[in-house]
Order: sequence, then structure tokens, then C-alpha cells
Amino acid sequence: MTANIEIRNVSKQFGAMTVLDDLSLSIRAREFIVFLGPSGCGKSTLLRMIAGLETVDGGEIAINGERIDHLPPGKRGIAMVFQSYALYPHMTVRDNMAFGLDNIGVARDVIDARIAEAARILEMPQLLDRKPGQLSGGQRQRVAIGRAIVKEPKAFLFDEPLSNLDAALRTRTRIELAQLHQRLQSTMIFVTHDQVEAMTLADRIVVMNNRRIEQIGSPMEIYERPATKFVAGFVGAPAMNFVDAAIDRSGDVITVTFADSTTIATDIASNQVVDGAHTFGVRAEDVRIAPTGQGNVDGKVDVLERLGERTLVYTRLSDGQIIVASDAGNSRVAVGDTVGLAFDGRKSHLFDETGRAWHARRA
Amino acid sequence: MADQMTIRETAAPAVGVRVPSANIYAPQWRNFVFVAPFLFFFTTLLILPLFWGMWLSVHKADTFSTGRFVGLDNYVRLVHDKVFLQSVWNTFYFVLLTVPALALIGLFLALCLNRRTRTAAVLRTLFFSSSVLSVTIVTLIWRIVYIPNVGLLSTIYGWFGATAPAFISDPSLAMIGIAIATIWWCIGLPMMLFLSALQQIPQDIYEAAALDNANRWQTLRSITLPSIKRTFILVIIIQIVLQFQLFGQAWLMTRGGPNNLTKPIVLYIYDTAFRRWDLGMGAAASEMLFVLILIAAMAQYLVTRNKGDQA
Amino acid sequence: MSAPSNSIKGRAFGDRMLLALVILLSIIMIAPVLWVIGLSLKENAELMANPNSVFHAPYTLKNYINTIGTSSVFRWVLNSIIVSGGLTLGTLILSSLAGYGFARLNFPGRNILFVIVLFGLAVPEQAVLVARHQIFSMLKFHNTYHGLILPGLSASFGVFLMTQYFRAIPKELDEAAMLDNASRFKIFWKVLLPLTVPAQATLGIFTFLGAWNDYFWPLISATKKDMFTLTVGMASTQTNFAQSEGIGFLMAQAVFAGAPILIIYLFFQKYIVTAVSGAAVR
Repeated sequence: MTANIEIRNVSKQFGAMTVLDDLSLSIRAREFIVFLGPSGCGKSTLLRMIAGLETVDGGEIAINGERIDHLPPGKRGIAMVFQSYALYPHMTVRDNMAFGLDNIGVARDVIDARIAEAARILEMPQLLDRKPGQLSGGQRQRVAIGRAIVKEPKAFLFDEPLSNLDAALRTRTRIELAQLHQRLQSTMIFVTHDQVEAMTLADRIVVMNNRRIEQIGSPMEIYERPATKFVAGFVGAPAMNFVDAAIDRSGDVITVTFADSTTIATDIASNQVVDGAHTFGVRAEDVRIAPTGQGNVDGKVDVLERLGERTLVYTRLSDGQIIVASDAGNSRVAVGDTVGLAFDGRKSHLFDETGRAWHARRA
Repeated sequence: MADQMTIRETAAPAVGVRVPSANIYAPQWRNFVFVAPFLFFFTTLLILPLFWGMWLSVHKADTFSTGRFVGLDNYVRLVHDKVFLQSVWNTFYFVLLTVPALALIGLFLALCLNRRTRTAAVLRTLFFSSSVLSVTIVTLIWRIVYIPNVGLLSTIYGWFGATAPAFISDPSLAMIGIAIATIWWCIGLPMMLFLSALQQIPQDIYEAAALDNANRWQTLRSITLPSIKRTFILVIIIQIVLQFQLFGQAWLMTRGGPNNLTKPIVLYIYDTAFRRWDLGMGAAASEMLFVLILIAAMAQYLVTRNKGDQA
Repeated sequence: MSAPSNSIKGRAFGDRMLLALVILLSIIMIAPVLWVIGLSLKENAELMANPNSVFHAPYTLKNYINTIGTSSVFRWVLNSIIVSGGLTLGTLILSSLAGYGFARLNFPGRNILFVIVLFGLAVPEQAVLVARHQIFSMLKFHNTYHGLILPGLSASFGVFLMTQYFRAIPKELDEAAMLDNASRFKIFWKVLLPLTVPAQATLGIFTFLGAWNDYFWPLISATKKDMFTLTVGMASTQTNFAQSEGIGFLMAQAVFAGAPILIIYLFFQKYIVTAVSGAAVR
């Protein structure tokens, strides 16, 4: 029960405002794909367009090669889990799950069998005769997923389904969703603004911003080789360090120079990069704490965030720039200390004025 | 199984062909079916009679036929009709007697009964209970209060060897008698409106005032009353609209007498259209009433539109 | 405010004054009703001789027995039940359908139509009565049940109330049902309508009460004694006030007519207050 989904040159306007602009995307069968982006980037709109809840103003959407954008939502063979779950409050859990099957004339015994199976998978057979009002948030969430499962849809759509759960439950449900995907081998599209959800669940992440797709790639691709400065800044916590820098591309690889004339040798090939203003980027875990004077640059420790397995060290450079470094969990650094910061040039990134990124040569 | 969920009979359009995309919010004529039944009754029984009435008001008409066109004749006759002018004056007088009293007593009761005690709940129930009675029962009750001999009032006065004022037959008291019965009947609504407004005042304002050492009178004057100012205006307008339509009490208690002194506009319309069967003139009078009420309704709209405090 | 003790004393005195005033008003509310009940329990002759006899025995149920036995009250109650019930049912059906239509569906001219319907809230009954009466005369609708029921079906309030209520239900429910392949009518009937039960109760009780107590339209439309509603019928007996049947008998009728409504009020107080206040504020 699975399908590939093809989105071709899709655009969307709300009145005079364009929310999606000529967007194309192929989703493979059995793929778990996550639309990630800040609120208002159009990710939910795109999901609702696939579901048929929003019009497609330009372009087309096909499932298994068949155009579906002219079909009403109920005829597209997909199921959706809403952020608010949208369970029918006056129906029991069983009736909630049966409603959609009933509407397409599935035989009663088939319906019962599917509900039993879904209840078993989601470990909630004891909840079947309750109403949504009698369930906890986590249980409602399961029912919403169950309602999708029984339809045996070609694809599952999830619209920020975890955002109404508390932190512990969210982590647990995330893992269960991953297991569910393993088990059902269905195409799943999941919308979120939470990068941890995206990183942990996705086969591929579609990072969206400002009407466009910024990058499509596996979680590690997105993390290690962000296509744009936006992706680099949006994915990863803490956000990537950015420092304005001049570049020297006389050598094989680029050397960058900060305003205070600190120079760092990177592993980025010189040949494609053009001259102009650039931003140097490096993640906190690629900035090491070194004894004073022994790093690329010295900084004064402003704030320490002790996360247990590591310590985030927020340092201020002489020009006021903040750089976050990652140190061991039991770091001896104290606020007010002056420390050296050693940048891992091989893992650094460079962004031009348009936001386009260059990365180290692949090993 | 998924095949069941796709309709096969709809041929999928070829790739690249522009077809209208599914739009669940597109305007569609068949959606009109849901509102059509109501709109049928609304149009035939409200909109049509509304314009029919305007048309009648410029004709000489009786029950079954509409006679000749008379232009504004009916209106001219109206403004020269002493009884009509009297009824307009009576209506305004009645509104003046009842509306301020209803608003002030309603506010007073709401302020006193806005607490979570059982007694307050019982009293709220009591003061609203008269509102559910029909005008017939209310007038019956009050006529038995006012009536000489076995009336409640004359009995009470009798204990002190006095004679009760003749609220129904004394020309200067008749309208007041009707007004008292009306206030008794209608006090529930203003009280409830004030109560719901009072309950919407955030409690922390009162806590802040208590910390500022405000006494009860100061709290009332500088916090409570300003926060329900809009509700107060609203109650006044609602009551003006309601009391403008005085009919049953006057008709059942005094028949408009003595000497038409308690005859309100609606009773004039009733008399003219349904007892003298001069439908054109009755329609003209009801148009005039409509305009008066519309003015009040516009005022209500303007007040409710500026959501200052919750009504 | 001089000394704290002073202010507390002043407060206690003020409280007592307010309490006294509220008690006085309560007595004014209750006393007339008690008086009516008292009179209804007395023989007419005894009352005429001395109204103060209300305060002591003998009491009798004779007036109530007469009411049940001889008057047309039962016929009128039946008429009122048919008219109020019919109007309530009709209003609930029309308002629910239209409320759903205006809140959830799109059709050409929707917004302007809704504004016109809202305008209907401002049209007082008196502005259309004369014409309505003439139309009904031509259609021979007077002195019929439908003649009494139909005018109420044109009231906008129910549509307004239901539209507001449907709008407050999350749209995701409709969308989930659409993904479940439910038709518009099925979404209305199976998904949304069951959720509007509180609004149905409010609107139903409000409509029923309004129809039960309505006086003007039944007065001019139902002119035959057999078609009187209870309200009109009660009024008709008042014309021969204190004459033929006697005061006690009239009072028994009043109690007989008023008690059911008051009992209903005590049971459904919350809905009634919500409905009446809601209708006033809109």
C-alpha cells in the first residue's frame, strides 16, 4: 500500500500573495519525507495541496503517475493526521476509525478486522469504545494515527502531529512513528518546524523557506552540507557560527581572513568560488577550546550551557562577535575566562552574498 | 484496497494538461441548497411583507383588496390624527417611565447578586422568572393587584384604613400602572446582561485596587461602572427597542384608555388595521414605528461594533 | 475614611440597607404571584365578602376542578403545543441547515445574502404584520395551524445563532471528514450536527418559549375560539373579568397556564438565560 508522489511546478497564491512558487519534488514510494521550515514558509500549504484541502493554482500533483490535483480530498487515497487530531468528538474511537471506511462502502467485517489490527499495532484495544474526550493527548494522537492506518492509504500526511504533546511524549511518539514506518513501509509526508523531528524521522528532508525549497537531502547531507546559508542556520542546535570573512583563493583551497586578521585554512576548493563578500560558517562542535593563544583566535567566555554530555561555550571575540564552541561535558572553562578557539578548517563552510554554500572537498 | 479509494470512472488528465484543481471552498450553486429552505420563508414571510407593507401604506386598502393609490395621503392623515400623535407621545412617555427604571434596578440587582452564594443564585432565578411568563398572565396578575375590592393593593391599603390609588382608571396613573407591571415583567433581562458584563471584568483589577487601598465606593465608581459603561448603553438601547413595541399590557389592562391616554403606537396600529380595517393607514403607522425602531437598532449596531467591554 | 473601625461599621450598615432593598424587591416580585395563588384557592362568594379571607382557611380546589372541567383551556393548551412545537421543530431544521450553509459552504452571493439575513434581525414584527395579515387572508391561512406557525419561520435569529455556532467548530473536522470521503450533507448530518446539541437546546427552548408567549400574531390570525392559543385564550377570558365565572376561577386559570412554563424555566434555566441574553445582544 504505497505510492510515489510527483509534484511538478506547483505554485499557490493567497490573494495577491504568492506562498509557493514553481515548486517541484519527487517523493519515492515507501519514503519518509519531512517538510521542514519556519512557520509561514508554505510547508503546511503544500501538504494540504497534496491532500486536496487547498487548490493547486499552477502545476500538477500525481500519485503513482496519475494526476490527482483535480480530485476531491476523499478520492485521492491518502490519509492525514492533523495537528489538532480532528477526531470526531461524539464518536467512539471505533466509530472514528470506521467512518471513512464506511463512506467508501468497505464491508463491515473488513472494517472490524482493520480496526482490530490497527488497535493491536497501536496497543490501544482497550480504548476502542471510549470517546475522544475521555482520552489523554497521547491517546488521541494514537487514535488519529489509527484512523489513518485503517484506510490503508497510498500515503500518510502528517501536519505537525507532535506539537500538541509534552516533551517526553513527543520523544516517545517520534520513535513509535519511526517504527510504524518501518512496519507499514508506506509513503509518509511529515510537516514540522522542529529540526529534531526532521532529523530523526526523515529519509529525506525538504527544507523550505520563503515560498521555495532550499534543499532536499538526507538528514546528514542537510546537516553536513547545507545548500544555503538559511539551511545552515536553521538546521542544527545551536545554530552554526557565522563570521564575515575575506577570501583568498590563490591556493588550491581557500583561506579566509576575519576582520581582526585571523586567518583560517579551509578545505574548500578554490576553483568555483568567485570573489566578493563572504561569510565563513562553522558548527559549534567543530570549534575546539584550546589554551589561550593556541587557537585561531582568543575569546572571552560569556555564558556556559552545560548539557551533560557536552558543554556549549559562548565566547565573545575582541570585535564583539559571538562564537559558540563545544567542549567536553565536564569542561573546566569558567565564565570570564579567556580561551583559545580552534576552528576545524576541514569542516568549515563558506557562503556568498546570495546565500549559496560551498563545502569542504569530499574525502 | 487503495483502489477502492480512487474513483476509476474519472479519467485522470494527462500530464501537463491544465485542468481545474479540486477546490473544496469554491463557490458552488449546489451548496445553496442548505440555505434555500430558510431563505424561502425569509423572503416570502419577511422581505415580501416588508415591501408589501410599504406599498400598502401608500394605498387605500382593506383586508382582501388593495384599493387606489393615494400617495402620502395616509401619512398626512396620520400626522394630523390627534389619536396617533397621542399614541406616539404615550409610547415615548412609557419608554421614559420604564427604560431608565429597568436599567437602574437591573444594575442594582446585578451588583448585589453578583456573588457565588446560594441565596444570590436563588434570587437571580426569582428576578428572572417573571420574564418567562406570557403577557396575558402578567397582566392578569397585575390587574388583580390593582383591582379595587379584592386587589392586593387595596387589601394592603385597607389594613391601614386607606384607599389604594386607582392605577387603572385614574388618567394620570394608568400609564404608571402599566409601567410598573412592565418593569416587574422585564427586569430579568437587564439584570442578566449586567451580570454577564460584571463577570467579564478581570478579577485581578479588583485585587490591584484592594492593594491600592480603594474602598468599596471607590472601586465601584472607578472600576466596576466604567467597565460596564458600554453594556449600560446597550441595555438602554435594547430596552428602548423592546418597550417601543408595547402592546399586550396596554391592550389587556386598559384597552388604551382612559381617553386613549395609554394607547401606544402598536395598539394604534392594531386598532386601525385590525379593528377598523383601514390597512393602508395601519401600514403607514407601522412604517413610522419601523423607522423609529430602526434608528435604535442602528445605535445598537454602532455600540456593539466597538468592542470595548464585552456585552 | 477616618478610622478602620468606623469604616467597617459603615460597611455593615450599608450592607444591611442593600439587603433590605433586595428583600423588598423580592417581595414585590413574589407577592402578586402569591396573591394570585391565594385567590385561586378561595370560593368566590367568600372573597367578595372579605378579601382578607385569603389569609386563612377554608381553601378549596374547586376553581381548579372547574378550570379542568369546563373551560376551553385544554383545547388552547393543545393548540399552543402544536403551534410552539411545530415552530420550534421548523426553526431548528431551517436554522441548522442555513447555519451550516453560511458558516461552512461557499455559493454565489453568500456574503451579501448573510448581510440581508442579519438585517432581518432589525425588522420588528409590527413592520410586516399588516401586509402579512393581508397575504394570509388571501391565502385563507387564518385560523389554521400553519397560519400560526409560518410567520415565525422567517425569523433570522436562529440562523444567526447557528451560523456563529458552526463557525466556532474547528474546520479540521470538516477536512478530516472530507478526507474520509464524506459528502457535504454527510459532514453536516454525521459530523457537525451532533456537536451543535447545546445550541439546538438553547435555540429550541428560546423559540418554544417565544411562540408559547406570543400574543400579537395569534390575536389577529386566530379569531375562532377553537384556534386560540393559550395566551390568546387566557386574554379572552379576561374581558369578562370578575363577572361570570368569578375571580378565583380566573386566577386558577392563570396558575394553570403559568405553572408549566415556570417549571420548565426552573429545569432549563441555564439555556433560557443564555438564549434570552444572546438574543438581546446578538
